[in-house]
Amino acid sequence: MDTLTYFLPQVWFGILALFLFLYVMLDGFDLGVGILSLTSSSEERRGILMTSLSNVWDANETWLVLMGGSLFGAFPLAYGTILSALYIPIFIMLFGIIFRAVAFEFREQSNRKFFWNTAFGAGSFVVATGQGLALGGVLAGIPVDSAGHFTGSTWGWLNLPSVLVTLTLIQGYVLIGSTYLVWKTEGELQQTHYRTAKLAAITTLTGAILITIATPIFYEYARTRLFQAPQVYIFAAIPVLGILLITLLLRSLNRKEERWPFILTILLFLLTFVGLALVVFPYIIPTKITIYQAAADPSALVFMLIFVGGLIPVMLFYNLYQYIVFRGKVTSGPYGGE
Amino acid sequence: MHFLSDTVVLSRMQFALTAIFHMIWPVLTTGLGIYLVLVEALWLKTRNPDYYYQARFWSKLYLLNFGIGVASGIPMEFQFGTNWAPFSEAVGNFFGSIIGFEASWSFMLEAAFLGIMVFGWERVNPTIHIVATILVAFGANLSTFWILTANSWMQTPAGGQFNDGIFVVNDYFQAIFNPFMAVSVAHMFLATLETSLFVIGGISAWYIINQRHPAFFSKAFKVALATAIAVAPLQIYVGHLSGEQVYHRQPTKMAAMEALWETQPAGAPADWSLVALPNTQAEKNDWEIKVPNALGLILEFKLNLSESVQGLKEYAPSDRPGMVGLIYYSFRTMIAIGFFLAGLMLLTTLQWLRGKLSPETIASQRWLLRGWIFSAPLGYIAVESGWIVRCVGRQPWVVYGQIRTADAVSNLPPGNVLTTLIGFATTYTVLFIGALYFGSRIIRRGPRLDLPIPGIEDKPAVNTEPGKFTPDERPVEAQQ
Repeated sequence: MDTLTYFLPQVWFGILALFLFLYVMLDGFDLGVGILSLTSSSEERRGILMTSLSNVWDANETWLVLMGGSLFGAFPLAYGTILSALYIPIFIMLFGIIFRAVAFEFREQSNRKFFWNTAFGAGSFVVATGQGLALGGVLAGIPVDSAGHFTGSTWGWLNLPSVLVTLTLIQGYVLIGSTYLVWKTEGELQQTHYRTAKLAAITTLTGAILITIATPIFYEYARTRLFQAPQVYIFAAIPVLGILLITLLLRSLNRKEERWPFILTILLFLLTFVGLALVVFPYIIPTKITIYQAAADPSALVFMLIFVGGLIPVMLFYNLYQYIVFRGKVTSGPYGGE
Repeated sequence: MHFLSDTVVLSRMQFALTAIFHMIWPVLTTGLGIYLVLVEALWLKTRNPDYYYQARFWSKLYLLNFGIGVASGIPMEFQFGTNWAPFSEAVGNFFGSIIGFEASWSFMLEAAFLGIMVFGWERVNPTIHIVATILVAFGANLSTFWILTANSWMQTPAGGQFNDGIFVVNDYFQAIFNPFMAVSVAHMFLATLETSLFVIGGISAWYIINQRHPAFFSKAFKVALATAIAVAPLQIYVGHLSGEQVYHRQPTKMAAMEALWETQPAGAPADWSLVALPNTQAEKNDWEIKVPNALGLILEFKLNLSESVQGLKEYAPSDRPGMVGLIYYSFRTMIAIGFFLAGLMLLTTLQWLRGKLSPETIASQRWLLRGWIFSAPLGYIAVESGWIVRCVGRQPWVVYGQIRTADAVSNLPPGNVLTTLIGFATTYTVLFIGALYFGSRIIRRGPRLDLPIPGIEDKPAVNTEPGKFTPDERPVEAQQ
């Protein structure tokens, strides 16, 4: 085995993890704000929530498109097997995305905003649910034959851990959405989201603890991987760091800081991600298919590395630029309302 | 209703439905993007505020289309994995990379700069703003390039070979520049532009007829008309080139497009079928009207065919497209619309040259304007028809001559696919009605001609100093 067959899939595993992380972080706050909009007390407040997303939601969602395309190109076998195995969670997510995406413009033009408010809020909730179930389904392991094709049942992804993952993911999105609103709004609205952030921090923590306990109990592969030197030291560090970050987050919320809660939440997401990646690596479908088995031809990986990988700094740069252009607090009602 | 328990048929129906619905929206955004660059450049050059308001008005339609385009585009991408897993595995090395390119090179660019283009008028200076508009239009049109590259490769696969059913690329340049690619990209690029121009022209004609902002909209009308003078005839020519390629490279599609059951030998003239009633069971046309000796003239401007045109009967029914009638009539619909739009453009240009389109007289050209209103949806129908010819005509292959559609489908319970298919049919009906309703609402409300013009008032248009930002200076479009 030459280094190329190992090195390239590892690089692509890293790039995909980066895309997924950027997506979960950016669309995470987007979806979280959507879920929070269900609890908005007035049309004006809902308008501000949507204004805070109006210029960023489409680019945020594009990280999902990019991750999908890259998974397709870099690990074609996994793309087909995972998505067809998770048919129902994926379509739950897709229908959520549809309603949520059109809600922005339709709500803006509509006189009766109730329907599109619901489409936006419930759509966000449905997207988060689909993603949680899909993630839970992947972690639970997908039954495949020797060629790597899906052999399981339609509802194989539905079990206690995947429900737990889903509930926690929704909490996580609410948390990052709340801290984003703390950063982007002021006054009463900001106060409300200091409260929702605190609440979500606690529920997310509870979920995370339950998942940490449940994963080794339910999944043998996680058990063997977790309690093995030297990984055990890294895995032991993650909960410690997690609790430290949550403490810092709660303290920062109590001190009514504006930016730190969002930044700390991002770090918390990052930590979870590292933990997840360590449990999964080098598998792309846990314990069944490694990234080396699922990888595209080395020439395709190199080709994509040059033309997609090389573009990552550029994409990050112009995405950051537009956040700078639209910096500052959002105070007005419905966005784009001419 | 046995097809309801057939995953292949249901997955095909779902892909067809989602593709047909998705296609509607990017057609307008890619073409309209170019128009927005054009009017914004005219504004910066002439400083005539009308052009600025043109940009503001039409970008509202852009945003509406973009939202639905995103909403309907993401399910397309994910369906390759969910419903067509064997296809994904077989072609991921090339096709998957191209989908990744589309996302990173085009879609991200369009999505990221769209915010600045629509909401950023007061936040960046005019130069940066037009750069953002250009990047949005460029991103959208680059999407056309990648998607048509991927689809052309499915029509004329090149640049590698299938090893154990997996396509391995030897030469990326050849795979990207596969035989169909250049003409297909050009044909689709012109199609989006032509459709958008006739939508802009049609909406403008509606305003002119109704005497609402006639001077303002005769400007839009003329920009659209002037561009259409170049685009409409060129599209007919490029369409011809595209047909010629099918003639040389996809004999089964060619035969279905012409409903030809018997082979027409080379070196002799052949009849061209104008109207026919194809009968797939009996392998003949039950009834047809033919134009004698016209086929060679249409295909290559020569009386005698230079190479034989194979009839459908040369192929076993399992090796040729089944829906001959659909392909045959979609093809004719597309061509009829192409010529109708070019004719309308010619007639209107003639009146323009005769000075009948001046702000005082344009409203009296009622029939001409009605023709433009009637033409607004025609481009869409032509685009959809063209895609039907292209992709239904490719059957029974998903990758022409290499992978059969029936072998490319995921092993799913039909109930799953039926459920999502019904879900899409319902959802997309709601979205379509919503888009028509809200779109016509934007049009009925008309342009707002009282928005402040950036860079004109006393206060600085750009507020870029950090820390000095105050809530009151939210862009005016965000204030109610």
